[in-house]
Amino acid sequence: MKMLIGFEVHQQLATERKMYCDCPTNYQDVKPNSNVCPICTGMPGSKPLPPNERAVNAAIEIALLFGCEVITDKPIYIQRKHYDYPDLPSGYQRTSLPIGLNGELQGVRIREVHMEEDPGQYDPTLGTVDYNRSGVPLVEIVTEPDMHSPEEARRFLRQLVRVLEYSGKVRPEAGGAMRTDTNISLEGGGRVEVKNINSVKGAYRAIKFEIIRQKSKLERGEPVTRETRAFLESQKITVSMRVKELEEDYRYIPDPDIFPLIIDKARVEAIRASMVEPPYLREQRLVEQYGIEPAAASVIVSERELVDLFEVVAKEIDPKLAATWFRTKLKKVLNYMKLRAADVRFTPKQIVSLLRMVDKGEITPEQGELILRELVRYPGDPHKLLQKLGFKRLRPAELRAAITKVISTNRSAVKDYLAGKEEALHFLAGKVMKLTHGRADPRKIIELLRAKIVGKKRRY
Amino acid sequence: MSEDRVKEIEQSAEEIVESFVEAAEGLPIKRETYYSHEVYNIMRPDGEPSSGGERSEFRERFIEIMPGSDEDGNLRVEVARWAR
Amino acid sequence: MGEVTKAKLGAIRNGELSAVENVRQALERISKLNPKVNAFIEPNPNSISQAEAVDKKLKKGERVGKLAGLAIGIKSNINVKGLRATCASKTLENHVSTYDAEVIKRILREDGIIIGMTNMDEFACGSSGETSAFGATDNPAALGHIPGGSSSGSAAAVAAGMCDLCLGSDTGGSIRNPASHCGVIGVKPTYGLVPRQGLIDLAMSLDQIGPFAPDVYGAALLLEVIAGFNPNECVMLNVREVSYTDKLSEDLKGMRIGTSSKFRELTDPKIMGVIDSAIEKLQDLGAEIIEVELPHLEQGLPSYYLIMSVEFFSATRKFDGRKYGKRIEDVCGDEVMRRILRGRYISRKEYRGKYYQRALQVRTIIREELMAALEKVDVIVGPTVPKLPHKLGTSLTPMEMYAYDYLTIPANLAGICGGVIRAGEVDGIPVGLQVQGKVLGEGEMFRVLRAYEAVE
Repeated sequence: MKMLIGFEVHQQLATERKMYCDCPTNYQDVKPNSNVCPICTGMPGSKPLPPNERAVNAAIEIALLFGCEVITDKPIYIQRKHYDYPDLPSGYQRTSLPIGLNGELQGVRIREVHMEEDPGQYDPTLGTVDYNRSGVPLVEIVTEPDMHSPEEARRFLRQLVRVLEYSGKVRPEAGGAMRTDTNISLEGGGRVEVKNINSVKGAYRAIKFEIIRQKSKLERGEPVTRETRAFLESQKITVSMRVKELEEDYRYIPDPDIFPLIIDKARVEAIRASMVEPPYLREQRLVEQYGIEPAAASVIVSERELVDLFEVVAKEIDPKLAATWFRTKLKKVLNYMKLRAADVRFTPKQIVSLLRMVDKGEITPEQGELILRELVRYPGDPHKLLQKLGFKRLRPAELRAAITKVISTNRSAVKDYLAGKEEALHFLAGKVMKLTHGRADPRKIIELLRAKIVGKKRRY
Repeated sequence: MSEDRVKEIEQSAEEIVESFVEAAEGLPIKRETYYSHEVYNIMRPDGEPSSGGERSEFRERFIEIMPGSDEDGNLRVEVARWAR
Repeated sequence: MGEVTKAKLGAIRNGELSAVENVRQALERISKLNPKVNAFIEPNPNSISQAEAVDKKLKKGERVGKLAGLAIGIKSNINVKGLRATCASKTLENHVSTYDAEVIKRILREDGIIIGMTNMDEFACGSSGETSAFGATDNPAALGHIPGGSSSGSAAAVAAGMCDLCLGSDTGGSIRNPASHCGVIGVKPTYGLVPRQGLIDLAMSLDQIGPFAPDVYGAALLLEVIAGFNPNECVMLNVREVSYTDKLSEDLKGMRIGTSSKFRELTDPKIMGVIDSAIEKLQDLGAEIIEVELPHLEQGLPSYYLIMSVEFFSATRKFDGRKYGKRIEDVCGDEVMRRILRGRYISRKEYRGKYYQRALQVRTIIREELMAALEKVDVIVGPTVPKLPHKLGTSLTPMEMYAYDYLTIPANLAGICGGVIRAGEVDGIPVGLQVQGKVLGEGEMFRVLRAYEAVE
């Protein structure tokens, strides 16, 4: 069934002060309603301070990272977006006109990037509001509905979050820092917006639920009306918000208390010159500079620390080998241990040393992977880890002896192989691996087994 | 205020809107004046946040005027209908 | 004439009158007259102790501020920490301010004493002083008549001598209109000259806080104290140094004063009679009177009401009753509701171009016209209001009420300054002469006001 999925992602920018007042932004570390002042609580008569320049620059940089055209030499008004909701202290949210337009990420079009201020934290079940978060600067990224499956949406969202973290301009904390609204429409139905999603996983679940809900409605002949729904994390469902206050007409006006911004080209170029190389450009350069596969480059580039490490390593050792290892084994180990490249503590020298050992054939790739796991846990000299794990180089005689033993104790398997069953060979190889404690290269084992069995054939 | 009264007021509110449309007829199209004086790029640098002392004084007053608060200092408002 | 404030300041400085005594006298007058005049909503319980602090400084021979010992009334839409900023509405009737507006900080820094919160039209939505949730204010200079609005209490308080100076706010005439009806000095400064941090908005792009005084010197002094750049808000002019008390000369030789036949078109002839005499006096003082063209002046009124309604709608969204006060739509008066509904209506997506944006275009026309006129002259003088204030209790339609604003609105739309001084009376009712100056032209404006005051 055809579906269109889009996102509006909000992420907090890393600043010390809030957007329109000087309250601190560390809202998670303090008592409720203590990082507040008359401005961010909407006291009568309060007026915003001039916008936080660091936030503006961060938004420009993020727009550039997504390949957007930054709006230059034209006034960018900060608008009042009016709606009634308990977490909005002034009854309107200050949101800028777009800072960047027409970007792209992973084939999904980025419609625009703009700045907003965060509302307070409303607990809809307890009925409480904490304004500590109110006024923290946000960047909002709006995509076109270019995703056509929940999996595609999840992949995209993951990548988007990575790029934001890549920039170093967003607040590093998880939990609450990224929020997304998603819109889903199925062919024949209206566009449904789902709010209150705080994680990539949540987005995936919300989308899946919505698809099922909408699909079953359409199958029953019921219309899918355009509406706003909320995602309930704990129950993994969406519910209608049925809140007339969230009506469409926000009655936008330029905020009379804030002068518009005009971004000049010089500012954009200065930011472009000093900013981190955007992932899509870095990917291209890796392919060109190191001659690695685009698919590998794409994976490596997904985490800033990973690609930074790769580029150091690739100077010391064959980049293609490094790329294969980074893309497969290292990623695998990190995922398995639920770590990110930023958490890696071993030095480039150490991993280079390990890769050299593999390259020279001193250890098998499988042994290398095990050492890598150790390396992540206990950073150190890989040679020492090799000894610690008891991986000794297998002498050819030892291997031959193991093969002989396995062949002689598994005659039916040997017969099966001779009868044409390829799997029997792998079964035998497995036995050899076990016997040699994985110290032999499986490819070598297969080679030798084959040779021996075929050789023996003459005897049978 | 009763619904009828609101309707009455709404109607009387529109009188001057109609009067405006008449008055504006035939006047040239101009650029809108949103601000008395339009100055661009008034921003402030990021930096050291406000002092805790000032904020705790405000916090006290803020909590005092809240129609309802909990023991942690959160503001009490309505529970969302869709969350019940 | 015009020595009241100077004399008071002098007396306090040289010990003839203590600050505490001054405040006591003010409080006495308030308690005596307020039941009838209803200029004050709430006196400041700390005014005596504020005065004591000033007296202490004086006794020690320490440096005191420019406003030392003066009792100052504050319009109830300006935040004074610890006092109620009610905006004369049930919405905020118990709202105790949690912070001081910037102008209050500046007054306190100069040792001014806050005597109390003055009455006003509810949320500044009015030109008569009759829409307050705390009862109408009477006009001490023309009892039984409206004092004007929306800064009704501030004008009446000065007119009745209940305090030395007052602060008001002006969006479409809310300082100048009551200044004219009550026969006192009232000044709307250039937009962006005086900080608005802490002023509860009627219309953000039009509001300015300004002084009321019994004399020009007092107004100039108070404006000097409150005016000037505030880094803690965005929309301010970059004016770092202000001084007006040194601009008060008594001759107008070389001054070019503009006047427009449009004023006569729009105004009651009896009022024009007073204004004509006043202009003659200005001529006698050496000014050159030049005719200026203001062909679209009256179109400013409907366009103002549209712009202001949209901004007011936006400004009132915070009064949802959740954090403080009550939900405004639940308890407000008719005119407040009218403006909220109007603002809500015309800011709708489908109507924006036709109403809101079109009104902003007409604003450009009015502004350009005024600016062009002010190229030819130093100030423009004329009547403040087109008709005399009605008797309290008279029923007026909304359009009839709005009509008071014809002559004051243009200055707000253009962002220029305007001051009012009593020029005479009609049937015992004060008539004010309005002097409008260029952007940051307060110097010339005060010069004309002072020169006129000196011969009256």
